[in-house]
Amino acid sequence: MSDDTVMPESGTPDAPDARQLASLPTTKVARAARFAKTGLKVGANYVKHYAKRAAGVTSETEDLHAANAAELYGALSEMKGSVLKVAQMLAMEKNMLPTAYSDLFAQAQYQSPPLSGPLVTKVLRDAFGRSPFEVFDEFDINARQAASIGQVHRARKDGLTLAVKVQYPGVADSIRSDIRLVKPIALRVLGLDEAQVRPYLEEVETRLLEETNYALELQRGTEIAAECAHVPHLEFPRYYPALSTNRVLTMDWLAGEHLKEFLATNPSQEVRNQLGQALWDFYAFQLHTLHRVHADPHPGNFLLRADHGGMVGVLDFGCVKEIPADVYALFTALLTPETLADEARLADLLTQAGVLRPEDAPSRRTFYLQTMQASLELVGRPFRQPTFDFGDPQYMAALYQLGDELMQQPELRQQREPRGSAHFIYLNRTYVGLYALLTELRASVRTASGSFG
Amino acid sequence: MDKDRIKQAYLDYVLRKGTPPASVYKLTSKLGIPEADFYRYYANFDAIDREIWADFARQARQRAATEPVWEQYGAREKLLGFYYTLLEILKQNRSYALNSLHRSLHRMPGLTPRVLDDFRQDFEQFVQDLLQEGKRTEEVAVRPLVQDQYPRLFWQQALFVLGFFAKDDSLNFERTDAAIEKAVTLSFDLVGRNTLDSALDLARFLVTRR
Repeated sequence: MSDDTVMPESGTPDAPDARQLASLPTTKVARAARFAKTGLKVGANYVKHYAKRAAGVTSETEDLHAANAAELYGALSEMKGSVLKVAQMLAMEKNMLPTAYSDLFAQAQYQSPPLSGPLVTKVLRDAFGRSPFEVFDEFDINARQAASIGQVHRARKDGLTLAVKVQYPGVADSIRSDIRLVKPIALRVLGLDEAQVRPYLEEVETRLLEETNYALELQRGTEIAAECAHVPHLEFPRYYPALSTNRVLTMDWLAGEHLKEFLATNPSQEVRNQLGQALWDFYAFQLHTLHRVHADPHPGNFLLRADHGGMVGVLDFGCVKEIPADVYALFTALLTPETLADEARLADLLTQAGVLRPEDAPSRRTFYLQTMQASLELVGRPFRQPTFDFGDPQYMAALYQLGDELMQQPELRQQREPRGSAHFIYLNRTYVGLYALLTELRASVRTASGSFG
Repeated sequence: MDKDRIKQAYLDYVLRKGTPPASVYKLTSKLGIPEADFYRYYANFDAIDREIWADFARQARQRAATEPVWEQYGAREKLLGFYYTLLEILKQNRSYALNSLHRSLHRMPGLTPRVLDDFRQDFEQFVQDLLQEGKRTEEVAVRPLVQDQYPRLFWQQALFVLGFFAKDDSLNFERTDAAIEKAVTLSFDLVGRNTLDSALDLARFLVTRR
């Protein structure tokens, strides 16, 4: 079983899966109730925090974040599907969130109560008209892995080892209402203003709904895999349309380990560099040439191996962001050294992007300009250098610090109207996720837009 | 066979008209058989309704057992498998199922609809067998006196599932799937060895020490 994907522990040891499933609230009311409870507890944490402060005890903000995140995670982990998805997405926004949140949310990627065997059988019967035990030569009824809106089973057919992703029944239906549930409480807990995010929710909703469409994922996965075939050290699963439907997706079972487990095997620097390079090239090619990106670069979607000097298996094309031409032009222009040096040019681009507005007061304008300049200097740094060492701990620390500072900015916190193009949500998320992967790999990468630019 | 013809003709009639025929004569004359023949098989239309429901339960049991992994399932999975198969059958006969349930419920609010009497017998027998098996696999705790009530508990669960299905308006009744999953898990948590047994054990210990 050495070629197996290492399975992350699913479920906490003291809470058996069955128990989790029983306590899983499905109806909208039940979910709302669950959230309301979280809201109360988070409120209580704040009260404790301020009470301590009033009493002269210095309660670290970190503690408060940790307590809140624990409550929120407790609530979120009991809810399957889209809520989990939203949590994961927030988890990716490491630079936007205090680290305590992101660490807890990251757990959601691995913890989700599995469906019972008979329900899996039923879903597959609905999809194929036959029992999975007849369709496949072998089918493991126990899920090997929880995907965010489904679970992955291992199967064999005609000598091939396959991964069969089964979507949780009813997920597609409940996404819209879930977003509405998550919005008020999660965003308040995260210190974001509701109005600030409202215009972007449509973008998020579209992506989330797309993600429930496995037929679309199959099509995109097949296309992008073919287009990226020449990028070295990448591996894509083949998808099997005859064994897939809107709710079931069958693909090759790729060998490899997730980032955390892989790093535990102490890979050499050369291997880590090659893996990092493969990831960077993959994203550079998608961004610059395909104009659409695999927008879900969380560690669960990549399988890493040390053979051939380091191979990356790419999974899950559920979330793909198509980048319109004007957005692409803006995005790349913002990252050039010329833009950074020239304030007038930067202001011009930011106005195009909707971050700056002609009616802004001069002081506000200066503030946004300075904030954006600082962000771009930091975030765009890898793009402006021929090679970049993501292993530099100072760089990620600087990124986090920038994120924390932005969160603390009263101007930004009180910002009532949304700024910037909604297209940037997933672009940012993609690169934040990529940076996080590369930093954890401590990879040194040739970032100059060379052969794939 | 006449019995099956009568049953089928009755089912078709209910599906088309939304109500049972006004009299046995109407049905038999359509079939071209003497009315007396009807009574050789059924006392009245209600008997046919009960039998159709019992057929649903039997078919669900048999079809669920054809699943290749059936023998590897524990009691909990077997019950889940039964419900999911029953749901498939009811999905194909939903109009009739709702119609007959409503007619029956109307007469006896709050109680088990009479139309389910035979269904219930079949179901409770099935549950009895599952529980026996569950005791062997230790999925079900042995609790003298209390355990005699288990079939009744599971019957309430079956009623809950049917009621949920009747009111479910989600696509492909996916909510009913979730309801079944949760209800069955809960019931097996209850009949399995749990906190209650430990509490009872302690209580018994304290009482007998005096």
